[in-house]
Amino acid sequence: MKLISLKPVVNVDKCIGCGICSKVCPAATISIKDKKACVNEEFCRGCAACEQRCPAYAIIMTKLEKPYVVEVPVEDVPYDKIAVLCKNAHMHPEQIICFCTATRAEEVAAAILKGAKTPEEISRQTGIRMGCKVECIQPILRLLKAAGITPERPDGYQWYGLTPTLWDISEEIKEKYKTSGFYFNEDIKILNKIVEAKGSKGE
Amino acid sequence: MRKAITPTSAKVSQYGINPKFLTKRMAEYPEMTSIMVKELFPDAPDVIYPSEEADGLELVRNATVEALKTVDMSMIKPNHSVNVLASHHGFTLLGGQPYAEFLKIVRDEIEKRTGTSDIRLRAGNGLRFRETEEYIKQYGLDVHFKGKAKCIAPIDEGIPIQTQIGTLYGLKAVYDADWIIHAHNSDVREVHFHRHVDRAVKPFGMSYARIETRSTYHQNLGPRGANFTARSIFESEFVKSKFAFTAFLNMAPGGVVGVLAANDLYKLNDHLTYIGLKYYGKIMTLLGTIDECIVGLDFPCPVPYVFAAGVIYANMVGANVDLFDLDGDLPPYTWYTEAFYGKNGKPLINEIAPVNPAIKMVVHNYAWGGYPSAFFSEQIPTVIVKREQAELFDNDPQNLQYSKYAVVSESLDEVMQFAYKTTGTDKVLIFDGAIGGLNISHSLLKLLQEKAPIVSQMVDEKLMPKWLKQRGISHLLHETARNAAI
Repeated sequence: MKLISLKPVVNVDKCIGCGICSKVCPAATISIKDKKACVNEEFCRGCAACEQRCPAYAIIMTKLEKPYVVEVPVEDVPYDKIAVLCKNAHMHPEQIICFCTATRAEEVAAAILKGAKTPEEISRQTGIRMGCKVECIQPILRLLKAAGITPERPDGYQWYGLTPTLWDISEEIKEKYKTSGFYFNEDIKILNKIVEAKGSKGE
Repeated sequence: MRKAITPTSAKVSQYGINPKFLTKRMAEYPEMTSIMVKELFPDAPDVIYPSEEADGLELVRNATVEALKTVDMSMIKPNHSVNVLASHHGFTLLGGQPYAEFLKIVRDEIEKRTGTSDIRLRAGNGLRFRETEEYIKQYGLDVHFKGKAKCIAPIDEGIPIQTQIGTLYGLKAVYDADWIIHAHNSDVREVHFHRHVDRAVKPFGMSYARIETRSTYHQNLGPRGANFTARSIFESEFVKSKFAFTAFLNMAPGGVVGVLAANDLYKLNDHLTYIGLKYYGKIMTLLGTIDECIVGLDFPCPVPYVFAAGVIYANMVGANVDLFDLDGDLPPYTWYTEAFYGKNGKPLINEIAPVNPAIKMVVHNYAWGGYPSAFFSEQIPTVIVKREQAELFDNDPQNLQYSKYAVVSESLDEVMQFAYKTTGTDKVLIFDGAIGGLNISHSLLKLLQEKAPIVSQMVDEKLMPKWLKQRGISHLLHETARNAAI
């Protein structure tokens, strides 16, 4: 869930049509038409990635007259399915996976179970990745993978691919670095404990 | 009693309020005093910046030249291109000039020694994608690097890097030269994230890295294994083939100790791990002995990064546990911990320690947005001074919830009276970047003076041996630091 309160405004006189804004937009809402950036406001979630990377300073963020909330209600999907999907991705359903929007794994799982197939669709529906644009891409990709989905990459720099997790570290590497301050097995133990923990309602 | 130290000045930045709204600093109150790090811990290292005897910046420049004499640059030919890799945090240290001057000398020495003039600055960022763009202009780095200074961000174009744990992703602009120079600083900073394991290598998994890698660090590899992301990238054949040497602005809580440089980053890494524990272990442990206090945020940086005696506020938030102790899994604040608070606002498992209960209230007089900070205001009573500052956060995509958990006041005077009355303590610790020491209330001064000798002995005799053993560098305890490194 995220409150959408900002939108980008393109100064077409300054815009040089380089397309960087469209390549960094996590919701893939910007296209280049007639050598100018064009924002599809219906799907923009106000993250300001375009404003922050525009080399011509042609984009400013302005307040929306009518802020609105995007959310995928967890109640729309049987919770046991959400729980299984999260567990397969080594996550607790209530685990926060986006620190800016406080989006929890359960909402992203619900979005996937309702049909979202890419990080861009998930961002549009839940508002995740609409804060720092940096830290939450892997949990999204992990949940998609757990659902058996291999998303198609957009034509930009939005994301490149899934990366290793703690559970992928080989025994050889664990052994090699165990005296150098890397506590892989101990970290797996605590993260597994989180996955197995009861939820806030005791379920 | 010593007067308060002049706080670090406000900066004009798109991530902070206009400095004209900062009409009063917390250090201005008569109940505030200061203490230098050297007074608390007489064995703290001597520093070259700030300096009372000489031009401190000139000492930094000279130290950089001297340190670079120890590295081999013969691999760089006159027709080669070189990327000097820098990071945003360096510009927040001691006003930023020491790191900027250090970078300029690194560039000039490369040109002088190798004959190449194709030397670029690639200045990495955290979550404020134009931050180093501001510093590049402010410190004249664009001019000094002859128009070849570039601000890079984690959402910029990337490249895959094959590592021993699988594919990770770096920023293309970092590696688009024949050689890279890792030009960093050694302050321990985010101990809650890297746990002071491979501190010197960290930027390869952070400010030089793409979002996929950074997300791996903070969400995939665990609270103690996170920095293996950086090691994996640095140890890749691709990065090794481009790495020429490293140079570090060597920091301590009191200021710049000097400059270190080496062709072997790992040798320097062990040394910096050792001296990081030695230089910062005591002050961080001392902050953990504070029984109760009001914390002031009063520095041009995002909430967790405001400084007091070289220690960031995020470390005070976790100072109720030993952040250096690797037997502890989840610090009171780190993103793994934040992630594990359930929908009822409580941790999902009992082992998670609360944020430092000694912090009774936070007075947010001046701090930037551009870092997800709602966890802090949700966990600790917070008063934001000035509506303009609250609005800054309300319009920051990373902080839409921050002011929802805080209250706003127009007057710092009234906030302080409110804080004293409602918390029942008159101890105040200000994170305002006071160079060389701490700005604190008289009442807190007394406590710190009492505790410092006890902390010093405990760190020397008990904690240092444990910390070093956990990192596999116990042997350095018995060697002089410099000799052990290079």
